[in-house]
Amino acid sequence: MTTTDAGATTDIGLLAHLYRRAGFGATREQLEELSHQSYDDTVEFLLNPTPEVDLPPDVLARYFGGESPNSYVSIWIYRMLNSRCQLQEKMALFWHHVFATGLIKNEHVLSSSNQIDMFRRNGMSNLKDILLELSRDPAMLFWLDNNENHNGEPNENYGRELLELFSMGVGNYSELDIKEASRAFTGWTFGQPPPLYPHGYYPAQFKFDADDHDFGEKTFLGQTGNLDGSDIVDIIVKQPASAKFITRHLYNFFVADEPQVPTWNDLEPLDPQLIDEMSSALLDSGGEMKAALRVMFLSDSFKAARFKKVKSPLEFVVGVLKMVGEFTELRPGLEDYATASDAMGQRILDPPTVEGWHTGKEWIDGGNLTERVNFAAEQIGDGDSPGISALITRMIDGGAMSSPEALVDSGLDVMGQLEVDDSTRDALVKFAGDSEGDPEPSRAVRILRLIAAAPEFQFA
Amino acid sequence: MTRPYGLLRAGFPFAKTLGMRRLTNFPIDIALGPEGRMYILCRQDGAALVRKYHVDDEDQGNWGEMGEEEGKLQWPVAIIADAEEIIFISDERLHRISSFDPDGEFISCWGEQGSGEGQLDGPSGITFDLDGNILVVDTMNHRVQKFTRDGEFISTFGSFGSGPGEFNMPWGITVDELGEIYVVDWRNDRVQKFDTNGEFVFEFGRSGDGDGEFNRPTDVAVDLDGDIYVTDRGNNRVQMFNSEPRYVQKFLGEATLSSVGRDYMMTNASPNRLRDMAVLEPQKLLRQPKGVVIDEEGRLFITDTGSYRVQVYQKEVIHLTSQQLAPPMRNVTLHQE
Repeated sequence: MTTTDAGATTDIGLLAHLYRRAGFGATREQLEELSHQSYDDTVEFLLNPTPEVDLPPDVLARYFGGESPNSYVSIWIYRMLNSRCQLQEKMALFWHHVFATGLIKNEHVLSSSNQIDMFRRNGMSNLKDILLELSRDPAMLFWLDNNENHNGEPNENYGRELLELFSMGVGNYSELDIKEASRAFTGWTFGQPPPLYPHGYYPAQFKFDADDHDFGEKTFLGQTGNLDGSDIVDIIVKQPASAKFITRHLYNFFVADEPQVPTWNDLEPLDPQLIDEMSSALLDSGGEMKAALRVMFLSDSFKAARFKKVKSPLEFVVGVLKMVGEFTELRPGLEDYATASDAMGQRILDPPTVEGWHTGKEWIDGGNLTERVNFAAEQIGDGDSPGISALITRMIDGGAMSSPEALVDSGLDVMGQLEVDDSTRDALVKFAGDSEGDPEPSRAVRILRLIAAAPEFQFA
Repeated sequence: MTRPYGLLRAGFPFAKTLGMRRLTNFPIDIALGPEGRMYILCRQDGAALVRKYHVDDEDQGNWGEMGEEEGKLQWPVAIIADAEEIIFISDERLHRISSFDPDGEFISCWGEQGSGEGQLDGPSGITFDLDGNILVVDTMNHRVQKFTRDGEFISTFGSFGSGPGEFNMPWGITVDELGEIYVVDWRNDRVQKFDTNGEFVFEFGRSGDGDGEFNRPTDVAVDLDGDIYVTDRGNNRVQMFNSEPRYVQKFLGEATLSSVGRDYMMTNASPNRLRDMAVLEPQKLLRQPKGVVIDEEGRLFITDTGSYRVQVYQKEVIHLTSQQLAPPMRNVTLHQE
């Protein structure tokens, strides 16, 4: 029972779980405020962001500005930390995972950041709109060579990945479908932006070059006609295979770690029933992403999936910063954290391949685990930071110093009701016992620091 | 000093472009010195510096360093220079005003964070009054405060709100040759004028993108004719008003390649090809301009922040006597004599 008759959510741990997945975490105070409404209402709040009360873009533009990838990423992190529209930011990151587009090839920071802005703007809209915008996005067009997709001389890179990685998955279309889709996207390009020097980035704009478009008859997934790119997208989003593929991506990102994408044609989803329900919601609504997201967040499978996912490096960094309570106000220095996830294996704006980042346990190896633990220990070990200081006060006031067990339980509780196995808990209790007699704040911050170093802290 | 009876506005042609990426990255304000010297304040995430420049598009090096210690900058906003070329810079993160010699040697700083008299919270625009005191826009306290050059508090005016004499996160400020004060009321999308004592005189502007409307204006300058120039950042333009204040015209940008930019392009074949393939129209336009200043020769300097350059216009005006300009008319007319 997580919701009372009066509509309040009594299970703070469930709310913490929801905000770790649908957002980037929440402070204990935020969770307690949210607990006054029902879980379902909180899901609706996340699904329906209200930007008018969110971070004013004029204020962000007044205080932040730069041309580098780090500059953009730092502003994005600021949004992740402070926006009330947590799911909107999380969906932007989701699509960045799925529609992976890399600066290593593009080199045009403004186009890459514009793509993320597009994901933020459209990420929870209709799948058809999202795929259409993607197909017109200069960063994507260049990344997958559609600027080289000419009438009579097609380049199949975008057509292939649109089907294989962005919508349907292998096994659900033929090589001929790829060729025909590619023909339909001929002439979908962008106008040449001026060079970076001497006066900076200018945005690239989508351009349909009719002179370079193949207006001939095409047959795609059984439909024949003078199809263009928008027709291809229209056909794709009506395919059950597309709904299953996209919702499996959602499941992998928000619920629990699936095997890597290339295996999906051979391996059934971890939770076929939930995927079916989400797929039906997506298809029945005509492609509305919110319909699938709503089914997912309200499902028992989601609610039961606490700490079943390895945090991505960026989720890890932002979650720690949110816990520490830093950068709740506009100030310089965030750019120092823009690259924190790089050493953990996730360079934002620059995924390694079109396949995106491999997720789940593949996030973790010896090197980047050390980076994660060191980062968390350093940040959470600062007892003077506003967030940790507040947690320490809460722990002491709540009776954490009554016994080593109480100290550990209190630390786990304030860190999002983290669940640990018996061996971890025993080790933490022993550590807590060894520190008896030390100053209370010092004991509290040290147990928090040690919890942050526990294997369980790597999971969301 | 008296203003002319009237003006024959002969034109306001574009004069030149100064700077380029790497030299003048994200320029946000300019202080003018004698003999064509300029101090261009540049700020972006992770960097803050002053580019010492010459109006002939000549780079003379830079100074300034990020940091919290005295003599360093974090979030600088405005730069002014006195007759001896002592440079003053406001810093809205460090809540202080710092002074430097022309080569960037730190002299002193003053200011402390707070909301009491003489305390600052996010200082932005700064300007000298006719007595050499410094007026500081105290942005987050929604007011203007006057200090001596050494930081001794003198007076204050303004409070939060949208009525006359009230502010919502004000930004730029200037004082005309008569000592009257103009403040850009950033989040109210207007400019307010005050007398030398800080008493409200008039306001102009409202939210929008039409003539005389603003989208988050940032800075203001006034020339010796009383003409007022406002950087209308969100609308990517500078608007000009006469002293009444009636809207006169706008500057959208007509940039050409600066001389340093030409030098760069002459030795780089690939950018030349890309430029040759691109549409040129957007390249001349202002992008998020922040600072504006006009000198006694009528040269209007606009920091074209988003394009890493300064655009310069030249005012061409002839002063008219009462014999050369008919008396004001109450009504518009179609008569042509």
